[in-house]
Amino acid sequence: MSKDLHPGRVFAFMILLAIMITLSYVISGQLFKFGAMVFSAFTTGEGAESAMKAGELMLKLTPVHNGLAIIVSIVLTICVVQRFLRTKNEMRGAFLKRMFLYEALAVGVVVVLFPFFWMLCTSFKPSGQELVISKTNPFDIVPSEPTLDNFRRVLKTDAASVAAGALDPIENKKNFGTYFLNSLLVATTAAFLVTLFASMGAYVFSKKELPYKQQMFMLLLATMMIPGMMFMVPQFFMVCKMGLFGTKWAMFLPHLASVFGIFMLKQFMDTIPDSLIEAAQIDGASEWQVFRVVIVPLALPIILTLFLLTFLFHWSNFLWQLIVTNFENPLSITLPVGLALFRGQYTSELGLIMSASCFSIVPIAVLFLFAQRYFIEGMTQGAVKE
Amino acid sequence: MIDTTNREGCTLAIRTSQDTAVAAGFLSPFMLLFGTFLIFPIFYSFYLSFFGSPTDYSLSNLEFVGLANYKRIMTDFQFWWSLGVTALYGVISIPLGICASLALALLLDNKLFGKSFFRSAFFLPNVLDMLVVGVIWTLIYAPKFGALAQITTWLMGENNFFNTTGLLGSPYTALLAVVIAMVLKGAGFGMVLFLAALQNIPEAVYEAADIDGASEWQKFTKITVPLLRPIIIFMVITGVIGSLNAFTEIYAMTSGGPQVVMGGETVGSTSVAGYYLFKQFDSGNYGYAAAISYMLLIITLGITWLQQRIATRNDAMEAKK
Repeated sequence: MSKDLHPGRVFAFMILLAIMITLSYVISGQLFKFGAMVFSAFTTGEGAESAMKAGELMLKLTPVHNGLAIIVSIVLTICVVQRFLRTKNEMRGAFLKRMFLYEALAVGVVVVLFPFFWMLCTSFKPSGQELVISKTNPFDIVPSEPTLDNFRRVLKTDAASVAAGALDPIENKKNFGTYFLNSLLVATTAAFLVTLFASMGAYVFSKKELPYKQQMFMLLLATMMIPGMMFMVPQFFMVCKMGLFGTKWAMFLPHLASVFGIFMLKQFMDTIPDSLIEAAQIDGASEWQVFRVVIVPLALPIILTLFLLTFLFHWSNFLWQLIVTNFENPLSITLPVGLALFRGQYTSELGLIMSASCFSIVPIAVLFLFAQRYFIEGMTQGAVKE
Repeated sequence: MIDTTNREGCTLAIRTSQDTAVAAGFLSPFMLLFGTFLIFPIFYSFYLSFFGSPTDYSLSNLEFVGLANYKRIMTDFQFWWSLGVTALYGVISIPLGICASLALALLLDNKLFGKSFFRSAFFLPNVLDMLVVGVIWTLIYAPKFGALAQITTWLMGENNFFNTTGLLGSPYTALLAVVIAMVLKGAGFGMVLFLAALQNIPEAVYEAADIDGASEWQKFTKITVPLLRPIIIFMVITGVIGSLNAFTEIYAMTSGGPQVVMGGETVGSTSVAGYYLFKQFDSGNYGYAAAISYMLLIITLGITWLQQRIATRNDAMEAKK
């Protein structure tokens, strides 16, 4: 057995194994510590003292999260070593290649997702301590004295803001809870209307006869070439002349005609057989019933995709919402605009800015977890078909 | 008998006109919005570009100035500078973006356990808000307290570039820093496209190359890359449109700065065309902003035309081969 072991391969395996152990220990250690951190932050109250208390709790939890990380690393190491020893000699080159692949991908994931993990961690750091990092290990970014104060402050539910809110209720409404609800309302309404109009339009382009239908469709596609920035000035003028400046209508009305949406839906509806529509008509269904009972259910996955993508677009449609927001009315401010405003006020308060960012990032990330297939397929579909 | 045919013809005619009415009814909400907010503004913008700028931000007392705005563009160094920055932004970000997504796709194009996990993890930043991502990266790059400054301080001591000026503080690195952040955000998108295309390449092609004794590198450059060409072209086109539309990332990360003096004028080293347009709009130069939009539209159409010509010529050359 031992003479089968190629020294060069064993050396490469040792190096890859060392990298793997480091990676797994650091990643799982940080993740478990993050869990312990969130737990202790939630169990303690407001103020600097409770941050200390949370720190003490975390100290007590250290053996738990450290132990878990060590166990994960050891189990992984044992599995990999066993696998390596069991692999036939001629297959070991391929085995090492696969190990390298996994490590490269893990490093890639760390690089791509690090900013968001850092954001989450910093948002739990007490004010004034964002700069404090552990001297021994700068890669340990999870705070050791966590607090929820930043979230309380951006929601204005901390003691100081509540006291101030009694005097000036409007000022107290300027918080990220309000901004979040505004964004939710704007994005949901826009997504609903866009999908409704686009699916009705796509139905006509796909299944109905209409004079100049082809020409109209070409005109639609031609406008897709124009960069969105072009429309900023005239659309702003139009919205102002309609008297909508500063209202929620202004935030999405100019973007309701989604050419991309109609294109995507038409592509899909072309695959629905005409015989189904004819069958429904023979059964005496009205035009609206055909649309509602035959077309919409069959095209539901793609309609849902369009809904999600439109929601996303309006959730982060920063430039347009910035220029039509009336800053004298804090009740109409949406999340991205609110964040830009907030950053101007608290330039160096990292914890506050990061906890404010969470309101935009975390809901979308969770939504993505549940509907990733729709997001990925929807966003990349246009590219493959063209 | 004749009666029946007549009646049938009659109902058919009624049915078609009814059908047309129904179709128009279904389509009209969309077309109404499309006409109002996408077609009309193209002409309205042209009209506005002949007007001057109100001094008081009001929209009603615009003064007709004729071609003055277009004349001003011709001699506006800041505008041409911003076009140059836009071009540079595209030239750096498009190849980097393609390389990053292709590298990820090649890594993932293997039989792997947990492939869909990696795919989703790389794609996730794509769906997150550009402004927020920009803000986070600004804080990562920030000198003194940013994540990067802290790590480099630990490694190299206090007196390093990342801790004193920061990547966004120097005119030489600011644009590159923005590009890196945006490439990391967008790499997952290209990766999914490349991955789908890679999986469509039949294994037999590579086996045939193996028999001919091709090396891994030859297989990559002679088989993989040519077969991925449609995706690469698509990414170049979207990259060009993306550079011309770039605004939020610049607003969030650099506000067009850091300033440099170039030929007697102070210009922003990351002031891309979209950001310059916004600046003009924001300071109330509505007519001028409309004229700039028109120039950008013409440039975009020119680039699209050029790209299509190159694409068709390449296709013709391929066909000749």
